[in-house]
Amino acid sequence: MDRESKSGQKTFINERIIIIAIVIAGFALQIAAGPFDYSIISFPVNVIVLAVMLLLLLVKPSGATGRFGSAKVSLCLLAIITLMCLYMGIVANNGVKTSWPFVLTYLLILINIILVIGKRIRQFKWKDYGFYLNHIGLFIFLFSAGLGSADLQRYFMRVYEGKVEWRGENTKTGELTDLPVAISLEDFSMDMYPPKIAIIDKRNGETFPAGKPSLMESFEGSSGNIGEWSVKVDSIKDRPGVAPAAYIIAKNKNDGGTLAGWISCGNYFQSFKTLDVSDIYCFAMTYPEPKRFSSKVEVFTKRGLKKSGIIEVNDPLTAGSWKIYQYSYDSNMGRDSEYSVFELVRDPWLIPVYIGIIMVMAGAVTLFWKGGRK
Amino acid sequence: MNWNEFIFFALISIVFWYTGVLALYKSKSKWLGDALIITGLLVFAGFIVALWQSLGHPPMKTMGETRLLYSFFLVLVGYVTYRRWRYKWLMAYSVAVSTVFIIINLIKPEIHTTNLMPALQSIWFVPHVTVYILSYAMLGAATIGAVIVLYKGTEKRMGYFELIDNLVYIGLGFLIAGMLMGAVWAKEAWGDYWTWDPKEVWAFITAASYMLYIHAPKAGISGKKSLWILPLAFILLLITWLGVSYLPAAQGSIHVY
Ligand code: HEM
Repeated sequence: MDRESKSGQKTFINERIIIIAIVIAGFALQIAAGPFDYSIISFPVNVIVLAVMLLLLLVKPSGATGRFGSAKVSLCLLAIITLMCLYMGIVANNGVKTSWPFVLTYLLILINIILVIGKRIRQFKWKDYGFYLNHIGLFIFLFSAGLGSADLQRYFMRVYEGKVEWRGENTKTGELTDLPVAISLEDFSMDMYPPKIAIIDKRNGETFPAGKPSLMESFEGSSGNIGEWSVKVDSIKDRPGVAPAAYIIAKNKNDGGTLAGWISCGNYFQSFKTLDVSDIYCFAMTYPEPKRFSSKVEVFTKRGLKKSGIIEVNDPLTAGSWKIYQYSYDSNMGRDSEYSVFELVRDPWLIPVYIGIIMVMAGAVTLFWKGGRK
Repeated sequence: MNWNEFIFFALISIVFWYTGVLALYKSKSKWLGDALIITGLLVFAGFIVALWQSLGHPPMKTMGETRLLYSFFLVLVGYVTYRRWRYKWLMAYSVAVSTVFIIINLIKPEIHTTNLMPALQSIWFVPHVTVYILSYAMLGAATIGAVIVLYKGTEKRMGYFELIDNLVYIGLGFLIAGMLMGAVWAKEAWGDYWTWDPKEVWAFITAASYMLYIHAPKAGISGKKSLWILPLAFILLLITWLGVSYLPAAQGSIHVY
């Protein structure tokens, strides 16, 4: 398709110079102006950028600007962004995401894609639907997720059981502000995984055998082997407000000796209990891990909307233009936590992002279905 | 219906699948292999539906249930891909991998949940992981093909180009689908589709290197030269899959448990 002539080769050198110049300018800006501040592209700037980019659809592919939509430019830009991401993926605390060269390369990719689309549309064929799904979808996704992220509002809100809260803490600045949404927390509840039983070394708290600890689940009637001990759980105490505890009976397989007694992992006001095996080792219980936590809430908006529901991890609640996520709780108190922390997100670009995702997903199916070049 | 009956359904399905694969290779009949594989799938699906009904919720909560679906979808997708591209080895491969998961479920059912942290308990968990593993399988096969061609020379191996490209296209299709499902999941769990978390950065690097491969011919790079991208891209893929937690950038990543 792209049978590039000698002059095409020369102009590609020009395009490469432009790309390199822009990336170097990015580095210069980085030194002069510091990290890229995404808020400068917040509404209406991002919408203006979008309008200008859409105008590029009208540019003639053979002109100086239009040639920036060639596959060679795409390849070059993809290689540059991949190198930047390699740096981002290896070096800790790299700051690539908020650096000017990265942001400028991202913009160049968007410009390149829109020019590529413009070029193809001039020779529109229905059978190119795979190309359109992938590239238009990717453009919508990259634009909305990238430039749209500047319009994202995000707050943490801590609500006590039985109370109502209007104020949210801006996740970036830490500022406390009144929000157009209020949450009333009726109940916070949590299910735990059964705690586990282990033998630990009293000198350093390490689980036995060191390196690959042997743990046993504790529920009524459970049994298992830890080292030379065969352990059976006789009964369990486990209810809200009380630290989980297990009455265990352990038999030594070598000398037939038995040990029995209560062990408990303790909690915020009861201390832990262990059962000594020797001067060094003892039976102990690990802290139970949360399995599921959720908040029963009622949500009000300034516009008069009222909605009640249960919010849990992976299951946010939508109220007007806000989405409310279960974020955290008082980890010292665990299931007896008296408050729940929510994350409130308002993302005006959510729908375009999903449209982009759906289009690229359909495009991925065409890759799968049509296969490679023939 | 409960897990005690799983072994019967599993064994029947496995027998159908293996004889089905055997029939694909050995039998002259056009439909025998297909019929056997589909019957195996129906038996397996029957167990899933019955289990679903008796549990009262979709079997997606525990590790054991996750693996149950995984074993099913692996064979289903393997079969659909086989129907489309007629790669018998792929059918055999997906049946073999599925068997491994079935055996794990029989030996160590983990039906009382091992501690799956709340963020992982999502309907996206199974498809996200399944699709990635399928993609890795395809791209792994494409890499083997590329190495063979690079090693033996291109002239005698023309047919390989088409096979390699097909595998990369299918593999990249799955890879992109897996990434996007991950993005939708992350949005549901954390309110953000993409945070450039180290695992996400590496997933992007991997996808970008395969994008480089499929766009190379459009930029006038010869098929033979662009083959060199594939072994490199596969090394990046392996880092994404297995190596991220060892990198300095990954300390504090949400994907490292
Ligand atoms: C989701 C990721 C992507 C996929 C699956 C994809 C897939 C494809 C496919 C299959 C083709 C060949 C289409 C055909 O000839 O009918 C193609 C062409 C092309 N793609 Fe992409 N692509 C992706 C991302 C990109 C990106 C990020 C760029 C730019 C940086 C790009 C630039 C191009 C160009 C310039 C062409 C050649 C267009 C032409 O010949 O008119 N693609 N792409």
